[in-house]
Amino acid sequence: MALLEVEDLNVTIPTPRGTAHILSDVSFALERGECLGFAGESGCGKSITAMAVMGLLPTTAQATGRIRLDGRDLLAMDEAGLCAIRGRRVAMVFQEPMTALNPVKTIGFQVAEGPRLHLKLSKAEAGRRAVAMLRRVGLPPDRFSPDLYPYQLSGGQRQRVMIAAALACEPDILIADEPTTALDVTIQAQILDLISDVVQETGMALVMITHDLGVIAETAERMMVMYAGRIVESGPTAEVFRHMAHPYTRGLFAAIPGGPEEESRRLATIPGQVPEPIALPPGCAFAGRCARTEDDCRAAVPPAEPVGPGHRVRCLHPHVGAT
Amino acid sequence: MSVFLARRLVALFLTLLGASLAVFLILEVLPGDPATVMLGIGAQEDSLAALRAQLGLDRPAWQRYLVWIWGWFQGDLGNSYAYDEPVIKIILERLRVSLPLALMAITLSTAIGLPLGVLAAARRNSLTDVSVMGFVQVGVAIPNFWFAILMILFFSVFLKVMPAGGFAGWDAGVWPAIKSLILPAVALALPQAAILARVTRSSVLEVMREDYVRTARAKGLTFAAALWRHAVRNALIPVVTIMGLQFSFLLAGTIIIENVFYLPGLGRLIFQAIAQRDVIVVKDVVVLLAGAVVLVNFIVDMSYALLDPRLRGGGHGQ
Repeated sequence: MALLEVEDLNVTIPTPRGTAHILSDVSFALERGECLGFAGESGCGKSITAMAVMGLLPTTAQATGRIRLDGRDLLAMDEAGLCAIRGRRVAMVFQEPMTALNPVKTIGFQVAEGPRLHLKLSKAEAGRRAVAMLRRVGLPPDRFSPDLYPYQLSGGQRQRVMIAAALACEPDILIADEPTTALDVTIQAQILDLISDVVQETGMALVMITHDLGVIAETAERMMVMYAGRIVESGPTAEVFRHMAHPYTRGLFAAIPGGPEEESRRLATIPGQVPEPIALPPGCAFAGRCARTEDDCRAAVPPAEPVGPGHRVRCLHPHVGAT
Repeated sequence: MSVFLARRLVALFLTLLGASLAVFLILEVLPGDPATVMLGIGAQEDSLAALRAQLGLDRPAWQRYLVWIWGWFQGDLGNSYAYDEPVIKIILERLRVSLPLALMAITLSTAIGLPLGVLAAARRNSLTDVSVMGFVQVGVAIPNFWFAILMILFFSVFLKVMPAGGFAGWDAGVWPAIKSLILPAVALALPQAAILARVTRSSVLEVMREDYVRTARAKGLTFAAALWRHAVRNALIPVVTIMGLQFSFLLAGTIIIENVFYLPGLGRLIFQAIAQRDVIVVKDVVVLLAGAVVLVNFIVDMSYALLDPRLRGGGHGQ
């Protein structure tokens, strides 16, 4: 049994203009110690998937399907049960280190908060643990007192504090939602290295959410590409990079500066817009922007078909051969 | 810190100077002769002149201003024309009513407004929220003197459990004195509590959207714990600002309520002093209140620094 199994997850939000389909038929599994990457542009459902796993969807959202952690369905669990899992079994690092930390609490308090809550540590014990965690993420106490406030740190240092807080209860799963997007380029590599290091050291599983395929290539063994609330391509990272089958994945790849030259000239931007979640077409959501669209694309949502070892794609006319 | 304090002291001094000039000039322009008021309309011209000389009213305005200000530096606020007593003594007497009344009202309004605002924000769009917002609308809309009269009718005339007015005096014992301030304090607190609840609600709602509240939830804190530990303190700055303004208002803006309840407070003192052209009392009280407002603002600013470490300054890390 996988550590985390998500099956047919559908998330909808009722709006005055109609039902918004935020996630459709999202299924994936995460093994212990595995690093799984989610790629896609903003609004594709990557972050909502993470929030669904955390049990922190907006109150108006309705979720169906199953999210099993060690076989227990989180969607059927009560709030107290979820509170015991959040931060303890599944921890999260967010995109904006400048705003994700409380400005009026010391960094020591914010790292110690989880252990005090979940591990029932005393204030002093939790404080010592916070110092140890801060030291682990590269903020030694001689230079970075736990009594500092977030405003006294740089963005990269704050993201280190976030990571320390997430690791403090030794969770089984770390969800990193765009952890480097808001940081300077030079700092991004340091933070990614730190995340990779601690993941390897502790043996926890990592879910890396990013719009940057480069980050996926560096951190994830397996990857999912999402578009308009659906997983459109999934497989081992190396395999997907070698044989990108979905036209959207190729477009995403070509949008990276320094991608394959011929494609980057032609597909540096993907024409058109993502369909709105209240008005998804009956067929493939990417059909309106795709150069390979034929009539059958618009008829029904393509099933996830295998195209290689562990490699599936939701496309009726996938690219074949090397990328 | 000392620079901050020094700047504050200069500001206090300038504010008092400005307030004293303003009130002096306004009373200078205002028609009405204290001597005529004191001796009556039929008074002889020579006795009027004698009284004016005794009060120093025959001297030019700039001299009278300087004499008045000089008195302040010596702790002498002058003598009231109407009561023939030192103004400082009258003010202190009135403060024994006004200060407890203001403190009771602000305590009451905070005790009602703050929890209601947090509750309404926590249960946004629920029946609780709608009820609180309804209370806010009514609390702001009802004139407090009318509410005060209703309370007198109910508690004093019908139930006969509260005095209908007047101040028992602290010599009569603490409880009778407090008792005569309860209904006025409630009448003063109601609209303030309503405003405070509204400000608190919107401030908490804003803070609850912040990323760090989501972070707290992701750590496993319950909604209530995340709200209490991470949202409320961050939401308090605008609330404290409003509380400071309310306290300044309560010190002297209670003229109507003091009249309804026949309380010998500062508000009534000003009202009577203006009616009797007791200009020295008006001038002194106005300057004193200006000083009180500056002091309250100072306390509010200090409490910002308590609430938010970013406003404390201090060194940066590596």
